[in-house]
Amino acid sequence: MSGIIEAYNLTKTYRVHQKQPGLIGSLKGLFRREYKLIQAVENISFTIQPQEMVGFLGPNGAGKTTTLKILSGLIYPTSGRAVVLGYTPWERPDSFRRQFSLIMGQKNQLWWDLPAEDSFRLHREIYSIDRKSYKNTLDELTELFDVKKLIRQPVRELSLGERMKMELIAALLHSPRLLLLDEPTIGLDIIAQITIQNSLKEYNTKKGITMLLTSHYMKDIEALCTRVLVIAHGKLFYDGPLRGIIEKFGQYKQVRLRFAGDQLPANLNRFGSVSATGPIVELKVDRDKVASALAQILTQHTIVDMSVQDPPLDQIIAKVFEHAKTNSVPREFIETPQTA
Amino acid sequence: MPQVSRYLTIYISFIKFSLITELSFKINFLIKIFVELLWLSILIIFYEILFSNTDNIAHWSREQYLFFIGCHYMLGGIIESLFLENCANFTELVRSGDLDTYLLKPIDEQFIITTKKIDWSTLPNIIQGIAIMIYALAVNPKWTFELTQFLMFVITFTCGLTITYSFLLMLCSTSVWIIRNQSMMELWWLFSTLMRYPKEIFNDSWAHSIGWFLTFVIPALIVINIPASTMIRKFLHPYSVLWMGICTGLFMFASRKLFKFALTSYRSASS
Amino acid sequence: MIKKNQPVIRKSWISIRKYLNILSICLTERMTYRNDFILSTIFRFLPVMTTILLWQAVYRSSGKESIAGFSQRQMIAYLLLIHISRMFSSMPGLANGIAHDIRNGTLKKYMIQPIDMIVFLLCYRCAHKITYITTSAIPYSFLFLICADNFDDFPDLTILLAYILSLLLGFLLGFYFEVCLGMIGFWMLEITSLLWIITTLNYFISGQMMPLNLLPEFWRTVLYILPFQYMAYFPAIVFLGKLSTNQIICGLLIEIGWALILFIIAQYTFYKGLKHYSAFGD
Repeated sequence: MSGIIEAYNLTKTYRVHQKQPGLIGSLKGLFRREYKLIQAVENISFTIQPQEMVGFLGPNGAGKTTTLKILSGLIYPTSGRAVVLGYTPWERPDSFRRQFSLIMGQKNQLWWDLPAEDSFRLHREIYSIDRKSYKNTLDELTELFDVKKLIRQPVRELSLGERMKMELIAALLHSPRLLLLDEPTIGLDIIAQITIQNSLKEYNTKKGITMLLTSHYMKDIEALCTRVLVIAHGKLFYDGPLRGIIEKFGQYKQVRLRFAGDQLPANLNRFGSVSATGPIVELKVDRDKVASALAQILTQHTIVDMSVQDPPLDQIIAKVFEHAKTNSVPREFIETPQTA
Repeated sequence: MPQVSRYLTIYISFIKFSLITELSFKINFLIKIFVELLWLSILIIFYEILFSNTDNIAHWSREQYLFFIGCHYMLGGIIESLFLENCANFTELVRSGDLDTYLLKPIDEQFIITTKKIDWSTLPNIIQGIAIMIYALAVNPKWTFELTQFLMFVITFTCGLTITYSFLLMLCSTSVWIIRNQSMMELWWLFSTLMRYPKEIFNDSWAHSIGWFLTFVIPALIVINIPASTMIRKFLHPYSVLWMGICTGLFMFASRKLFKFALTSYRSASS
Repeated sequence: MIKKNQPVIRKSWISIRKYLNILSICLTERMTYRNDFILSTIFRFLPVMTTILLWQAVYRSSGKESIAGFSQRQMIAYLLLIHISRMFSSMPGLANGIAHDIRNGTLKKYMIQPIDMIVFLLCYRCAHKITYITTSAIPYSFLFLICADNFDDFPDLTILLAYILSLLLGFLLGFYFEVCLGMIGFWMLEITSLLWIITTLNYFISGQMMPLNLLPEFWRTVLYILPFQYMAYFPAIVFLGKLSTNQIICGLLIEIGWALILFIIAQYTFYKGLKHYSAFGD
């Protein structure tokens, strides 16, 4: 099988200068420096198939950005091998660089004082896009992101969300086959986040672009990705469908019950932990015991309203990270990626 | 040559964009031009004061020396308006990691990094430099126009420019390894100080070896001296022109290599 | 009771210790630029050397013994001494830093934390100067040793004291001058270009390019009254023994006067600026 991204045992180690505190410490530092090795990424392997939308999860400093940078050829891995779009990324031939885009949420590549359209035109020259397809793509993209009226306004006058949309347009102008996104929605308000999610999703279904994205907002991941990679302390911790995480790490379900009358039944805590507000009770029930617990409750009490939900993804992910901190990677969590 | 025309089109966009950006800060732009004029008048006053006490400096007559100043001013103007700001910015790009966005583009990195911004406010310096040179030639009674001489001037001047640009590129490449608190501007200022005076002032016994060093190791002294001598003093030693040619080639090659190496080093160290 | 006094003493001690601490942190910060020392040492020599060579060429070509009352040796000594003056009075990035803090709101930290901004900056600059001067001591003594021929005998004690005083005052003058410039940032968004004008002009009229004696009498008088020459020209000329005792005293008095005036302006504009800032800033 040949994926659009294939990574084999990628490892990246940094040498970081250690500075001792205080004046004496820095005086010492003038003569002798101490270094510490930091494993940013350790033995990461995965394959991504064309048209997949994959989420990259991990706590801060887990090595997500480093991996994205290796895959886009910005940095060399210390060891390991990668094939992206058929190229070795860190050789960076122009033909490779024409076929993908990397967007970093905090970096801005448009000319600040000029309308975005001017930057787009320059982009056309740099990527050697012919005029006709440039015009078509630009029309399509401004339509998609709904910013047709804004492209003639100086970028500095745009809101953060609008600016991000412009960045995305710039990144998509040359119709890349692969889009790497690093925190694309950072700092944006909910509305901007959702419109960007929708536009990206639409673009993916229309053009079949492959996307790999990191985000702190679980909502982004939930909305866009069917598959996730979880990385913690530089190691790949989970690779599989998003649902799989919930099933593996969300051991309990949230059961909300509203009882008839004011009286709350006692000893509900035999089913799980209880938190009550007024007539509504929230139970955390073990995943496999939900059915039997509900059956018991329904036979013994009168229920006005009820719902059963998975715990929020954020909580599960936090748990996964917590788990990763204390445990080494359990083999069984790394599944072989399924072919799309 | 589709590549050449592509780079040319991109460069024209850079020129245009820089002008628009610059014009959106009109007052700043005018002040910058004013500073340049102020600096030029200080140089002229200094020049006048020097020559009110002597009729030549190291065998450069009043008019010849003025030509030298014009030549220096023009070269400085070209470097400052076309490359300096970009090179200074490179340090910042390395520090902030914004260099990444440049490296992703399918285009020559040296091109986009060193030419992206044009400082329009120092462009008038080029014209002022030319004006001073023309004036110096006009008031020089002994000087007559010769085409070959003029061509030699253009060639040696271009060589001088290339050497300076390459030197600047080498300086800014080192910022990948050396975190400085000195800006590129200061380093440029120092380099430009070295080329500011006729090389004959190094004829003093104790300075001889320094003059040698600045001609053959860091060839700052030849940058202005050779073109200016060629044009106004008709003094042209074939060896010095040859050396200038060699230097140009060496510096172009070495700076390109160093720059590429610096990028590799940046890429293996950045996070 | 004895105890009653203690809080006051303790408080002032704490306050002094706070600023000492800042001083030490700033010193540490300066140390981190290891590579800088080597580079800046090499590069510092070059401009001094070329100007010296230029003047030597001027003396040689003109055949004159003295220009504007300076013998060749004195001229060289002057050009070297200028660097000592500047070592004390130059404040790179100070005004710009203040203006920058005002513009991007970092200034607020001084409004929240119990630190006086100007005192903090003074500590910072002291630290900066201490490291700068100590690290430059070796290259400079080397340079002066090479050029020792150009100096007459060491000046006597009173002149030396006056010289040191003029340098220290030069430091304060330079500091408060830059702070005043930085304060303009409260009312003007962009002061970088304004600073460029002043730096450029200052380079000339403070005597860094050449002794002010070369200028016409009228301009010399004007510059005598203005503060600029006290940041470079004046200390050098004191050291060279070119001034009479009266002239030295007059000069020092003017320098003290300017340091005071600039100090008051700095404090006042800072006070006014903060008011303006909290009224209009966001």
